[in-house]
Amino acid sequence: MKSQNKEILYGLYDDDEDLLKAVKAANKDHLEMYDVFTPFPVHGLDPLMGFSESRLHIAGFVFGAMGTLTAFLFMTWVFTRDWPIIFGGKPYWSVPAFIPITFELTVLFSGIGMVVSYYIVNGLGFGVENPTLDDRITDDKFCIAFQTNGYSDAEIENLSSFFAKTGASEVSSKVI
Amino acid sequence: MNQFTFEGSQKRLFLGMIAVGLACMAATFLFDDDALHTRFWTNFLHNTVFFTGIAFVILFFYCASTLAYAGWFVNFKRVFEAYSLYLPVGLGFLLVIIAGIWGHFHHLYHWTDTSLLEVGGPNYDKVVAGKSGFINKNWYTFGTIITVGIWSFCAIKLRSLSLDEDSNPNADHSQYVQFKKVAAFFMFFGAFSSAAMIWQWIMSIDVHWYSTMFAWYATASWLVSALALTIASLIYLKSKGYYESVLPDHFHDLGKYIFGFSVFWTYLWFDQFMLIWYANNGEETVYFQHRFNHYSVLFYANLAINFVLPFLILMRNSVKRKAGIMMFAAIILFFGHWLDFFLMIKPGAYLTAQEALAHGGGHGDAAHSVVESGFALGNHFPGLLEVGTFLGFLGLFLFLGFRQLAKASLEPKNDPYLGEALHHHVI
Repeated sequence: MKSQNKEILYGLYDDDEDLLKAVKAANKDHLEMYDVFTPFPVHGLDPLMGFSESRLHIAGFVFGAMGTLTAFLFMTWVFTRDWPIIFGGKPYWSVPAFIPITFELTVLFSGIGMVVSYYIVNGLGFGVENPTLDDRITDDKFCIAFQTNGYSDAEIENLSSFFAKTGASEVSSKVI
Repeated sequence: MNQFTFEGSQKRLFLGMIAVGLACMAATFLFDDDALHTRFWTNFLHNTVFFTGIAFVILFFYCASTLAYAGWFVNFKRVFEAYSLYLPVGLGFLLVIIAGIWGHFHHLYHWTDTSLLEVGGPNYDKVVAGKSGFINKNWYTFGTIITVGIWSFCAIKLRSLSLDEDSNPNADHSQYVQFKKVAAFFMFFGAFSSAAMIWQWIMSIDVHWYSTMFAWYATASWLVSALALTIASLIYLKSKGYYESVLPDHFHDLGKYIFGFSVFWTYLWFDQFMLIWYANNGEETVYFQHRFNHYSVLFYANLAINFVLPFLILMRNSVKRKAGIMMFAAIILFFGHWLDFFLMIKPGAYLTAQEALAHGGGHGDAAHSVVESGFALGNHFPGLLEVGTFLGFLGLFLFLGFRQLAKASLEPKNDPYLGEALHHHVI
């Protein structure tokens, strides 16, 4: 599936405090942001952008529970049905001996499952190219981007004046 | 409100708890006990060790956080200071135990019987004699006095530095620099000495048995209790209108600690159990066999309360930010780890006393064949008298803690990390 090209109008800020103020102003003016890019995590940005709590840990729990069941049921099957061996005079179904391996597989499944979920949900992976609006947003610039497909000139003008008002050091547009 | 007032109603509540505790201890001593007063003395040791350990580990946590350049907790660091000042009182209670060892008015520790050490004597016990270089009266006495004395000194010193920082601020933060030096010494000394003291106070009750995990395991139990007490105190103080600067974010971090250390406690509990279970050496398994057979309800309840409940309750992010459910979890865990110490102390001490009573104080390999008969409330399961004694010690601990809280402003004024604590955000 080929997605439609996005026309992006973005402004660059020099400071994270300026960025936070600008995001607050954008919320106040009911401007719909496409995204905000920062070179490092900025405290207080997530609630301003209206992000709800990440659901990644739910995936972590589900994968972890899968790991628990896989390890425990597999060892149960091996040591009671498939190949029963007596170790140190213990019963075939020796639960305490299973716990370390169950624990390890829980952690392994949970960890790998969360990484894979994260990559799939965010469209990352081998061979994926993600367009960067400006190389400097990975270094020292803070960026607010608007998607302007189908915007009228008046709306574009409105966004430009928003950038001017909130102190953006540069404003550019790009099609990605 | 930055100045805590210790109200009359709180004082009456805590003094009432102390009175209940004293009444329960007196009742235990006079009416419901064997000739050696086992139930009374085990209750006394149990609560002494539990609360002294909490005071120790709170100071340890405070020092460790400061040395790690952590700043998030400093707006409520007075709570840590106030509770750590219980240490001299704990030393006082331990001196009573020590007096009992020298005066033979309790029989908590089997190794106090010196006839076990006479080679060729009728009571000679090879295992106890082999350990007598460390497990002896002198080590117990002077180890306890010196160790807890130094802990108490550190607690008082750190408190006075922290108060001095408020009244005499200076540009180079000399008190903070000095604080870190004392804290570094305390961490080094406390980490080693607490292990040795746990061996003396608790592990030497089951004198034939030993476990290299034990000191860690008991310390983890103290740590979870200490965090639970901190959380419960902060929620209470907030409900009274104090500590407005303590945000859900602070509870979130404390919640992560209590969740993490509950799992850590379980890890140690399980490791200690599994290695002994797998190796199946008689001299080691006897410890768990005794608990399986005579304490089976508590044995599994211990795991359920201290692992399963916090693991499931505290797993979600949002839960750690809610006062009500955190209070619930803190109370459950505090009591749960008190039960854990019950299981560390009671079985061995009760068995020792039973053997001593059956053989008139004498001992030999044959004495180990004493079969414990019947269920004894208070020795096999906590009865109302145990709960009352616990309330008494808790009342004293909180009374002294709140009195210290009232002596200084609740938030420090000049801590270099105060700004970080006031702007603490975790999500």
